[in-house]
Amino acid sequence: MLKPMARHKPAPKFLNLLLIKLPPGGIASIGHRVSGVLLFLCIPLLAWLFGRSLESAEGFLQVQQALNSTPVMLLSVLLVWSLSHHLLAGIRHLLLDIEIGLEKTAARTSAWLVNLGAVLATAWYAVNLL
Amino acid sequence: MSRAAQGLRAWLLQRFTAIYLAAYLVSVLAYSALRDSWSYSEWRAWLGQPGMGVGTALFALAILLHVWVGIRDILIDYIHAVWLRLLLMAASALVLLTSLLWIVRALTLAAIGSAG
Repeated sequence: MLKPMARHKPAPKFLNLLLIKLPPGGIASIGHRVSGVLLFLCIPLLAWLFGRSLESAEGFLQVQQALNSTPVMLLSVLLVWSLSHHLLAGIRHLLLDIEIGLEKTAARTSAWLVNLGAVLATAWYAVNLL
Repeated sequence: MSRAAQGLRAWLLQRFTAIYLAAYLVSVLAYSALRDSWSYSEWRAWLGQPGMGVGTALFALAILLHVWVGIRDILIDYIHAVWLRLLLMAASALVLLTSLLWIVRALTLAAIGSAG
């Protein structure tokens, strides 16, 4: 009887997150999910702030003060990373959908650009906040 | 509709909304970046215009649909207890619908305020 798998070592299965080494495409992909969830979690707060800012002049002032407070500013840094990563990874995904950049080197390069681009955009935003 | 067609519909919905979300977001962020500050009346008048109001309401609707497809995929992938999955899906739907209605309410008030 043939045992085609017998000569292969079993694939390593790491459950320790520190041992898992993801390729750039994997980082872009899990980052796409994580940033999407973070953006989703921010929706109620953003919708509330948006509504308050339009409701009345006092509400508008309140929102402006809230946006200049330290906790919201820290949150906005996270939001900028989420938004830029999700946007860049999304554009990459749409291009892959229409078969642009599918070869291994191109896909690797674009994944690097996404991962790095989001971090650079966030750093630029954070520096401008100071 | 078959299950496969439902999957295709969700897939297409996610992509079409993505294109609208990206286009709206990039243009609005670019426009806002060019202005240095907003007064309340400017802000309200800007969003009270019919075009901006409809465009922004559509943006909120597109977010709801886009997030729904994405969150549903994630919950199906990682949450295997059916009761918990359904609970989280219901909670997400509630959060999304409430946020959408809140935004549409604010836009409507701004439109009425600008017209009156």
